[in-house]
Amino acid sequence: MEETKQGKRALTTTENATLNKMFWLSHCVFLGFNMTKMEANGFTLTMAPAIEEIYHDDPEGKRDAYIRNQAFFNTHAVAFNFIAGMTYAFERDHKAGELPAQTIDAMKVSLMGPTAGMFDSLFFNCLRVIGAGIAMGLCAQGNPLGVLLFIFIYGVSQSVLKYILLRLGYTLGASAIDTVFESGLMQIATKAASILGLTMVGAMAATTVSVPIAWTLGSGDTAVAVADLLDGIYPGILSLAIVLLCMWLIKKGARPMQIILGIVAVALIGAFLGIF
Amino acid sequence: MSAATAGFLCGLVYFAVYFIDNAFMSWDCITRPIVVAPLIGLVLGDPFTGVIMGASLEAIFMGISAIGGSIPSDAISGSVVAVAYAIMTGGGQSAIEAGLALAMAIGTVMGAVNSLVRVLRGSLAPYYEKLAAECRPVKFFVMNLLILGVTTLPVASIVGIGVGAGVDVLQAALDSCPAWVMSGIAAAGSMMTAVGFGILLSMIWSPSIAVFFFVGFVLTKSLALPSIAVAVIGAAIALFYFFIEKDIIDAKRVGGSSEGAPQMAVPANSDEDFFA
Repeated sequence: MEETKQGKRALTTTENATLNKMFWLSHCVFLGFNMTKMEANGFTLTMAPAIEEIYHDDPEGKRDAYIRNQAFFNTHAVAFNFIAGMTYAFERDHKAGELPAQTIDAMKVSLMGPTAGMFDSLFFNCLRVIGAGIAMGLCAQGNPLGVLLFIFIYGVSQSVLKYILLRLGYTLGASAIDTVFESGLMQIATKAASILGLTMVGAMAATTVSVPIAWTLGSGDTAVAVADLLDGIYPGILSLAIVLLCMWLIKKGARPMQIILGIVAVALIGAFLGIF
Repeated sequence: MSAATAGFLCGLVYFAVYFIDNAFMSWDCITRPIVVAPLIGLVLGDPFTGVIMGASLEAIFMGISAIGGSIPSDAISGSVVAVAYAIMTGGGQSAIEAGLALAMAIGTVMGAVNSLVRVLRGSLAPYYEKLAAECRPVKFFVMNLLILGVTTLPVASIVGIGVGAGVDVLQAALDSCPAWVMSGIAAAGSMMTAVGFGILLSMIWSPSIAVFFFVGFVLTKSLALPSIAVAVIGAAIALFYFFIEKDIIDAKRVGGSSEGAPQMAVPANSDEDFFA
């Protein structure tokens, strides 16, 4: 592991090869997408070349790295590459013993929320609408070129940016670590990143987790919706409760599968009884 | 062309665009109506109608996206059935209008079917975790492709059968399913995300900073701040913490600089919170 003291340095052949492989695999963001961990599988796949390179002589570290990069992940598919590039740099320093694993998790968690918002508005709400607008004009006249134009404006452009951002993330990640590491502030940086990470998990939980209660007490005009009662205490209090319950169960050693089956069972029984 | 052949071709197009975009592109681009509709037109032998309808369908489904993982209406199946209906009933202006009127209804029905598939995919998360821990990226890739294919097949089949047998059959099949099963499945889907957040939280949770999870939740839920705004607030707090702690370290270092190397001596111990 060579030292990267200061300034920019050219990427080595190995790094270049790994980044190229990561670029191609980063098109698998939505492969294996699921509601439990969202883009976790895409992230694991994209990180695979980096993990194989960094931990080629360390089976134990490799296994830990695969599990670490299988955590919940969700952002826009283009911003995805920036974070993947940074994670590559972070994993390299983790292997060198300079960076606690917690910092990698905290960095990923704190970056995915804001990048998702930024890139969703850039691509989905802006570029897609522009592309579709142009294409719709052509297609409405029966010109099939509109379709190709749309794929080019909204699709190919994503890949171009994915390529650039992956490399940018890697370079920035490496230099950011050097700066913080040289001043011996890693523990504080980790805690600061965790503060941001926790805030963002709270924000994401507030928008994506919901417990749709359809239960009403009483009937007719006097009926009271239980959801309104609970929201009266605090809006989304049940979402908060279920996230914290899941964390508690996992800390107690429950396996995710057990929790998921539990949720499906509760949801079906609840729906049968008219609670959901 | 017989209805059965048309149904098969439509199912095939659905499967192809969904599988290829999710597995190899992650652009959310070739699954848009403006691409799907001309493709259906092409395989059913009337590309012109497909292109024209693509423009209208893109406008109809413009606001509907996969952001956050919950998709209210399935734009692909809506487009497939709409174009197939228009072409199979003879094309022309009135057939196109009838097809367009169908699109959103079919999309919504298929959205319900998709939520079934989502629950199935979400429940596989623990399996992926085990798979990742095996450190075999090629197997991980192949299994992901296989699972995506197998879970897409039923939806593609329903679309194909729907086109082949007529759309009434689709509606009837869904109506025969008790309402509580559908709402239970929908509830399970929206609660499942909590598991991913639970796992995430258990990794970065520490009592001294746990309160920031609630800060993020409240900022989003009560103040309805966008995630970028929450990130800025979180980052401000994190940076503030970082610089205060840094000042303390600097102060200590100035005080105790008589011993040890002038550069830095901290890193060796910084592994301590590795297992925290």
